[in-house]
Amino acid sequence: MNMWRRIRAMGLWHELVLAGLLAGLLAGAWYFEQTRGAEFVSWETQTALSSHMWEMALLSVPLTLIIISGGIDLSVGAIMSLSAVTMGLAWQAGMGVWPAVGLTLAAGLTAGAMNGTFVVFLGVHPLIVTLGTMSAYRGIAEGLIGAEPVSQFPAGFLAMSEPLVAGLPPAGILFVVLAIAAGVLLGRTAAGRELRAIGYNETTARFSGVAVARTKLLLYTASGLVSAVAAVLFVARRDTAKADVGAGLELTAITAVVLGGTSIFGGRGRIGGTVLGVLLLHEVRSLVAWRWNRDELTFIIVGAMLILSVLVHSVLTRRKS
Amino acid sequence: MSPRSVLSRLAGREAGVAALWLATVAAVGMVNPDFLRAANLHAIFVKCAPVVIVACGVTLVIVTGEIDISVGSLMGLLAVAGGIVTSPDRMGLSPQAGAAAVLAAGAGIGLLTGLLVTLGRVPSIIVTLGMLTALRGLTRVLMGGRWIESIPPSLRVLSIGSTLGVRNCLWVAMAVLALTVVLAHLTPLGRRIYAVGSSPRAAALAGLSSRRIKVFAFAFTGFLTGVATLAGQLEVGTIEPDIGQGFELLVVTCVVVGGTSIRGGVGTVIGSALAAILMMTIGTALVFLKLGASASYWERAIQGAFILLAVLTDQLSRRRGTGEDTL
Amino acid sequence: MSDVLVDIQRVSKHFGGVRALREVSLAIAPGEVHALCGENGAGKSTLIEILSGSCRPNAGQVLLAGRRLGLGNVGACEQAGVAVIHQEPVAFGHLSAVDNIFVGRELTLAGGLLLNRRAMRRGASELLADLGGGVDLACPVRCLPPAQRQRVAMARAILRDAKLLILDEPTASLSERETAVLFALIRRLRNQGVSVLYVSHRLEEVFALADRVSVLRDGRLVGTRLAGELDRATLIAMMVGPEASESSRLGGDGPAPGKAGEALLEVSGLTRRGAFEDITFTVRAGEVVGLAGLVGAGRSDVARALGGVDEPDGGLVKLAGEILPGGSVRRAIAGGLVLVPEDRHRQGLVLPMSVGANLTLSVLRRLTRMGLTRPARERRMAGRIMGELDIRAESDRAAVSTLSGGNQQKVVLGKALAAKPKVLVLDEPTRGVDVAAKAQLHRTIRLLADRGMATLLISSDLPELLSASDRVVVMRAGRITGELTRDEATQERVLHLALPPDRANTEGGAS
Repeated sequence: MNMWRRIRAMGLWHELVLAGLLAGLLAGAWYFEQTRGAEFVSWETQTALSSHMWEMALLSVPLTLIIISGGIDLSVGAIMSLSAVTMGLAWQAGMGVWPAVGLTLAAGLTAGAMNGTFVVFLGVHPLIVTLGTMSAYRGIAEGLIGAEPVSQFPAGFLAMSEPLVAGLPPAGILFVVLAIAAGVLLGRTAAGRELRAIGYNETTARFSGVAVARTKLLLYTASGLVSAVAAVLFVARRDTAKADVGAGLELTAITAVVLGGTSIFGGRGRIGGTVLGVLLLHEVRSLVAWRWNRDELTFIIVGAMLILSVLVHSVLTRRKS
Repeated sequence: MSPRSVLSRLAGREAGVAALWLATVAAVGMVNPDFLRAANLHAIFVKCAPVVIVACGVTLVIVTGEIDISVGSLMGLLAVAGGIVTSPDRMGLSPQAGAAAVLAAGAGIGLLTGLLVTLGRVPSIIVTLGMLTALRGLTRVLMGGRWIESIPPSLRVLSIGSTLGVRNCLWVAMAVLALTVVLAHLTPLGRRIYAVGSSPRAAALAGLSSRRIKVFAFAFTGFLTGVATLAGQLEVGTIEPDIGQGFELLVVTCVVVGGTSIRGGVGTVIGSALAAILMMTIGTALVFLKLGASASYWERAIQGAFILLAVLTDQLSRRRGTGEDTL
Repeated sequence: MSDVLVDIQRVSKHFGGVRALREVSLAIAPGEVHALCGENGAGKSTLIEILSGSCRPNAGQVLLAGRRLGLGNVGACEQAGVAVIHQEPVAFGHLSAVDNIFVGRELTLAGGLLLNRRAMRRGASELLADLGGGVDLACPVRCLPPAQRQRVAMARAILRDAKLLILDEPTASLSERETAVLFALIRRLRNQGVSVLYVSHRLEEVFALADRVSVLRDGRLVGTRLAGELDRATLIAMMVGPEASESSRLGGDGPAPGKAGEALLEVSGLTRRGAFEDITFTVRAGEVVGLAGLVGAGRSDVARALGGVDEPDGGLVKLAGEILPGGSVRRAIAGGLVLVPEDRHRQGLVLPMSVGANLTLSVLRRLTRMGLTRPARERRMAGRIMGELDIRAESDRAAVSTLSGGNQQKVVLGKALAAKPKVLVLDEPTRGVDVAAKAQLHRTIRLLADRGMATLLISSDLPELLSASDRVVVMRAGRITGELTRDEATQERVLHLALPPDRANTEGGAS
């Protein structure tokens, strides 16, 4: 009872519902798979299936912060594409693979800083800015690389996709670290409180001496950098650098964030919710793909989950008020 | 800012886009006269037709202060639905039934979107993002892993037929454009669409039902997506799984470049149509400029640059004009 | 029946714990100009909102021409013939005057299918010509000056055959000549049988126009009198009430001896183009300086520039002798100057966040250790401020949105005090606050001054400004027009400096 009150007071019910759904899904899958011998709910299957989740998971962390601050970044997939192409071309041009990684990260950082500059100094709605840069970045990537993908990266680089600790590849470990860092930032630092205040009411934040411009600029730049990291990890996992890297990932990542309870209007949201959103999204997709071998169903389920989660929330809060 | 300068700015966006298009055509024509051949220009306009048709609806949605990014997936779904209803390999019904199914399904899904936004109070960016994903999945489920083939030519008459030497899809696009201009500027409903987008509070005080108006805008967009499907997506008799992908962002790009404000209340369908023509011309122009095989890969980069340019000029002129804070 | 158009019967409204209206009954006759007077927060706005349908009362009903008004339903109230012209008329900014007038009541052709644009244009130009003309019909109304926007709103109301026209501070941003045109128009409408509910702080306007006057105080109706039977002093006494007039004289003893002296805020030649010019004044420790002026005189702009929200184009601000660079809220706060902005919901508070988070928002970075916030320290600080200012909330974790207006305003003040300022700039600190909270705020302001705070106080409530300030600086049209000591400062003198010259003269003649 007391715990229930505490959960309500902290507004944790959304996370609770997500965790319940996730547990129910896995339990159901486990029960049904018992009879068939094949095991979805097993360490091997889960680690194998998780390998392609991490890039989207990484993107979702800075995206959560951006959406909480009242913005949005549609260009994360395009920055991945631009970064992957940078990586490929640098490697092709004879640069060492690690310097090429450095150049790639710099490219992502610059692309993110450009978004931030547009949003902050020109005051353009971030939806429009990142819609534009989304086309521009992916377009530049396409223009730079043309039709030929780059591959055959050195083994030492490709090894980045191998499991490192507890079945997690570096990408997974990075996600855990990033999520914890973002959670601490949001919950326990002045910057986190300030970015939430910006999301709820930017004018008040400005009147209260919060460095609104700097905060936003840093957020979009960080998002660009993380996108570049995701791109490097993608290239290492697939040994291929081309322009369609990250296509559609922005929408999946936004879905995961919103599914996790972050309000698209800014202010409300938590990293824990995003982590659960990412996991739930991933498990649903994996299970459907694994059990029925039909990827297309997952689209329907993901889209419906996104709309329903916000719909349910809006219906519930309306009744309360 | 003086009233005149605002007026000239509103009219200025359409004029600016048109001038930019003319300049593009002239410049490319000088480099390669083949570009100016009627057949080529005709082909460019044919490419524009579905974009213009859907942009008419999306412009109205954005003017009401909402957004629709689901039209690409919807178009794919409708093409597949039309194909399944009429293809002899599948249901094999009459083309009339197919066309009716496409239009009704388009309007119906638009209606559902509108109801979720207004009655369900789910932000339109979320609803249409969800639709974008879900409808794409539904399309693939319906296709069942096979392409849809041998769609009867009578269903494709709007796409492939010609009247008076002009492709039917262009007639359809012009008709839709004319109809939407009349709707937007000459009917009470059109005025109310702008009113709701301009000030939701004033609209409520004036007793306007912003719900009904927004539901209409979404349903209209869905219907027009059906029209665009019939007029633009059935050129060949087969339907591939990723039909319509990316179309939604192209349409939103055209609407924004055409001068419609994402904050609502401002924008014209003429501007969106001109921007669509400009955008589609660039892709072809890149081929005719003979810059080498890889030149056409830059099409999307240029489109992105146009959005940024559009918001940039918008923002700078606003700042210079009033000096008020827009934050 | 025939001599009552609008019958307001025992209407009550409360917002959370604040009772905005208590059993107010009021009758308005057809063809009457009925003035509604009262201090800020007396309940006038709430009554207007109820009549316009945008707010549903908790009890009571309103009859219009004998029929119950559909309260809480804007459409029904409009249909019944109630029209409100707000101080800043709410309009469709991007649409033309013609469209603004006719939206929802369009004239049509072809069986309602098409707009009859020519007829609407003609109708609009006729309506507006009747109202004084001079309105550009084609351009978006957001580009029109306020007087023209108001005319558009009036034309809207007339088109809808308004039986009751509610005018809320209609002359706040009008020139003398525009006001005269408006008055003539109101009289004409009255003669045509339209009833007007006229809400204004300008008593001379009330006496010039009204047939009857109703006074609200603290959510109650004090009384309704014939305007001819009232004089200014009686009316003010009705508005202020016996207890309040005493409590407003609390404090106001001037700076405690020996404490005043050090000039904490020295402003010289401060200029921001288009807003204010050459502003020079000084505020000493222990002193409350009032900044008076009409709405639009540039007072809030000065406050914003001082607080670092806007960057001034020229001039110098010194804080305790040190130059304060402009254009940065953070530097202003660090230097010891904090602005309490005028619009608490938009500028002062983050409504969904907790009381504690709001109180500490400006100083959060001072409370961290190694980058991490310290919840216990924050709670202690929040608790201390809540105690000092008597902020009534469930706890420091309650969302600010759940608090009453007065307590919300105290949170804004508390947020400013958390930064331990030397100089406070208070912009309309008591707007929309109930009487008890107002008195508390007044006491707090004086207490802070006694402890050595230098305070710049902006208030549109002139009696409040006069009773709370040690000195009054008056602004008009972006410039300082005079400075009055406590003894010199009377309502008349301040108005004389604040009003445009010609109007001040006529008023001087009248009083």
